[in-house]
Amino acid sequence: MDLRHSALLQKRIGVIQAAAWLMIVLLIVAYAWVQLVMRSKMQELALRQALKNRTTPAPRGIIYDRNGNKLVDNRRALHLVIQNEDLPTDPQQIEALATALQLDSDSLKRKIHLSRQVKGNRLLVLQDNLDEAGLAKAEMLRARYPFLSIEVAPRRVYMGDELAGHALGYVGEVPPELLAKEPGKYEIGEIIGRSGFEASHNDKLKGVDGQRQILVDHLGREMALFGIQEPKPGKSVYLTVDAGLQQIVKDSFSAEQGAGVVIDLRDGGILAMYSSPSLDPNIFLNRLSQEDVEKYYQNPSRPLLNRVTQGIYPPGSTFKLLVALAALEKGIITPSSTFTCAGHKDFYGRTFRCDAVHGTLNLVQAIAKSCDIYFYELGSRLDVDDIHNAAVKYGLTEPSGIDLPNEVASRVPSREWKRRAKPKDPKWYAGETISVAIGQGAVGLTPISLARFYAMIATKGKLLTPHLYYGTRNEDDGQLQIFQPPPPRDTGLDPKIWATLDEGLYNVVQYGTAAASKIPGLDMVGKTGTSQVTTFVDKAHYSQLSKHLKDNALFAGYAPRDNPQIAFAFVAENAGFGASSAAPIAKKVCEYWFLQRPVKPLPPPGGKLFDAFHLQGEKTAPEATSP
Amino acid sequence: MKERLRALDPYLMGPILVLMFMGTLTIYSASRGTVQSSIWLKQSLWNAIGFGLMIFVSRVRPNRVFNWSAGFYIAGVILLLAVLVPGIGKAIGGSKRWILIAGQTFQPSELMKWLALLFVAHRLGAKPPDYLRPMELLGIAMLVVFPMLLVLKQPDLGMAVSFLPVLILIPLIKGLRARWVALGLVLVSAFGVFAWHKVLKPYQKQRVLTFLNPDEDLQGKGYQINQSRIAIGAGGFFGQGFTAGSQTQLNFLPVKTTDFVFSVWAEERGFLGVLMALGLFGMVLNRILEIGRMAKTNSESYFCVGAACLLGLHVFVNVGMVVGILPNKGIVLPFFSAGGSSTLSYFLGLGIIMGVYYRAKLK
Repeated sequence: MDLRHSALLQKRIGVIQAAAWLMIVLLIVAYAWVQLVMRSKMQELALRQALKNRTTPAPRGIIYDRNGNKLVDNRRALHLVIQNEDLPTDPQQIEALATALQLDSDSLKRKIHLSRQVKGNRLLVLQDNLDEAGLAKAEMLRARYPFLSIEVAPRRVYMGDELAGHALGYVGEVPPELLAKEPGKYEIGEIIGRSGFEASHNDKLKGVDGQRQILVDHLGREMALFGIQEPKPGKSVYLTVDAGLQQIVKDSFSAEQGAGVVIDLRDGGILAMYSSPSLDPNIFLNRLSQEDVEKYYQNPSRPLLNRVTQGIYPPGSTFKLLVALAALEKGIITPSSTFTCAGHKDFYGRTFRCDAVHGTLNLVQAIAKSCDIYFYELGSRLDVDDIHNAAVKYGLTEPSGIDLPNEVASRVPSREWKRRAKPKDPKWYAGETISVAIGQGAVGLTPISLARFYAMIATKGKLLTPHLYYGTRNEDDGQLQIFQPPPPRDTGLDPKIWATLDEGLYNVVQYGTAAASKIPGLDMVGKTGTSQVTTFVDKAHYSQLSKHLKDNALFAGYAPRDNPQIAFAFVAENAGFGASSAAPIAKKVCEYWFLQRPVKPLPPPGGKLFDAFHLQGEKTAPEATSP
Repeated sequence: MKERLRALDPYLMGPILVLMFMGTLTIYSASRGTVQSSIWLKQSLWNAIGFGLMIFVSRVRPNRVFNWSAGFYIAGVILLLAVLVPGIGKAIGGSKRWILIAGQTFQPSELMKWLALLFVAHRLGAKPPDYLRPMELLGIAMLVVFPMLLVLKQPDLGMAVSFLPVLILIPLIKGLRARWVALGLVLVSAFGVFAWHKVLKPYQKQRVLTFLNPDEDLQGKGYQINQSRIAIGAGGFFGQGFTAGSQTQLNFLPVKTTDFVFSVWAEERGFLGVLMALGLFGMVLNRILEIGRMAKTNSESYFCVGAACLLGLHVFVNVGMVVGILPNKGIVLPFFSAGGSSTLSYFLGLGIIMGVYYRAKLK
């Protein structure tokens, strides 16, 4: 070997050796930087992507009827969601996801943007209640979009479908309007009661969401559980409703539109409340199909309306009790005052008719026969403000105070009302009072306020607050905490006047207009009504309906006469004569409640709650419990 | 057997055995609980076969090995061409790098690096000890560039890069006039510009761009390096502990038994482990170069230098890549990464080096 070359080679190898060590040192410096200087930042990043906080939605409280029958339950459902901390940012990715899910990409972007502003760990639900096919598709999507996850969350089940749809209401995501109206009260995406009892008692029913701290892998799959804070379910709530009675009322309305409500006279609890056509709350948990949108939103019958608290009906003859009350209190007549009905009479230059020639009648007979002439006479002697003032005094003009959202107040006209409502024709004409005297004209009552008025008569002058909320069960001892409604307001009804009205109502069923609905062994009393239709159906649909509009049939009353326990009001729309359509419903209700209902209802939760109102059996004192 | 083992240089073999042990442990930890959980056993088997191969090769006299180097080279090129033949070549992930032999995939390019080095070392050793003449340099360069182009065609950019030390460093060691070095630099830059626009595939360009700005594309190509950096950094000084690295065990770390195996080591063993591994790599390179000094012939010397450069490049590119200072090349780490072809090829190279050592020791 050439010595000169050998020396050069040794030198060159030395250079390479130095270069090799330099390279090692360079790498060590780089690792020292990342592992020693950047350590805490890197550890935080590692933790942030591996450690996730997940929300476990709390189930809402279960709703029972007063006997402990489940009306609303929860079941577990799977939802495709994005966890708040995993929200995607790449707009192209969001668009691709929207396409895959057949969602509108702009609205998805808006939702993601909104969700990003939420503190805590709310889920953005993309698809809820996945079925088998939906689940398979969701799993497939998850492989492509690791930020998606599938979560188990409770979902509402309304057991009776349409049984008590209006009373129960339904749940849904908090709407943007509500978020804007009460900032801070709700969180975006929160499930709240949207209507009915679910809405008015949302605070009790909603629980407290739980949290889980988990370790996830690169696909977001849960690998280990670190910490868990169990969700706190919402309170179980009992309604004053009796499911059996509710079913009877529902069945009575099978084909007809209308409304019915039954009130417990001890405390104002609603025993049954039905608005026909009804709605199935289960349907409102999903995105509505086109068919359902048509059925519920574009239907001229307006099924979304709770006719019991939002339907304004002309009360017809059921209103005569108030007119009689006004006349008696004003001293225009005494209970024995008589008028003669010749089938028709002229007032203020116009002829008013009665449906029969009743001859000479006193007040009791006039109520029993529902003689219009008698009340026209009263109307001609009364000022409309007298009637209005009596209505105010006996609670007809105020909202009943029922614990349901958006109750509409009844309308009993006054001069003042005419001035405000008809500024173009503000003068009250005496002839209008004649119509008001038989519950026509501008008079419009909700079934709940009508029932409350008859409950007032039944209780000799006490104004109850109707309510659906019966009580909540304590979590620790399982005891039922019974809700104390506000004490009834005493209207100071004169007992003598009351006796006359009660007598009149009794005779309606004994020999009067509702004699056909007489129940052997049970004194149901009440007043029929047949009102010319000016329904609350809005003007746009009015013309369509008008050609086959028939009269509304009404019946309101209470039972049993000697010891009243329930009051009720029923309206059957376009069903014709009140005695033949609405009174039979009341008959069925009373027969069920007093004669057919199981003697001992299902043991109520938490001890003795309900005595049986059973006439055939032993008469237990209704005062034994004071709910 | 005892005598055979005596052919092995303890100063080279010691660090390599430790590195192999560390590598197998890391593979075990990285593949725990996955479908590939027995891959550490397979790797141990490759290591054992490789060890036997090394002992066998070390017993062959180096001058014989060099004399046969032309034949080896041609055989290697044929294997590289076989990759392109449908039915023999096997494509994985869009690139044809493998051939199937007895149910095992084999990557001829791993072997070809060593065969090209062997042949080039042999040719240069035969030249007179003057500066290389231009035509001689060109001839030598062609020997390397041809297989390199075949590898680029597969395409396998990382592997093509590992031919570079043979192409550049060996002629330098042999001796080159400064003007040819300058000309070479110009040509290489010109080729680089040409390659960027005409040869490189978009994904390869993307890799380079990601290297330049890794934060740009967190979920895409930069994702791997980003996750690797997080793993390394989270290791801290002492490491998260064996089989306890969250990045590794929760699969945030990609290709963790091959390309990113060193990130697993760094996460679980910390800076201390990194110091140890890099120290051992330094000792290996140093010792191979020392053997190059002791070598009897120029060819043997050149081979040792080339082998050190090849190893050094792999260590530098892989270890530098996973920590984010070098582009994501998809290059494996010797003695650490799982893989049969590379393991056997390294042991083949080591066998020749041990042969050189043995002959130098015998005098």
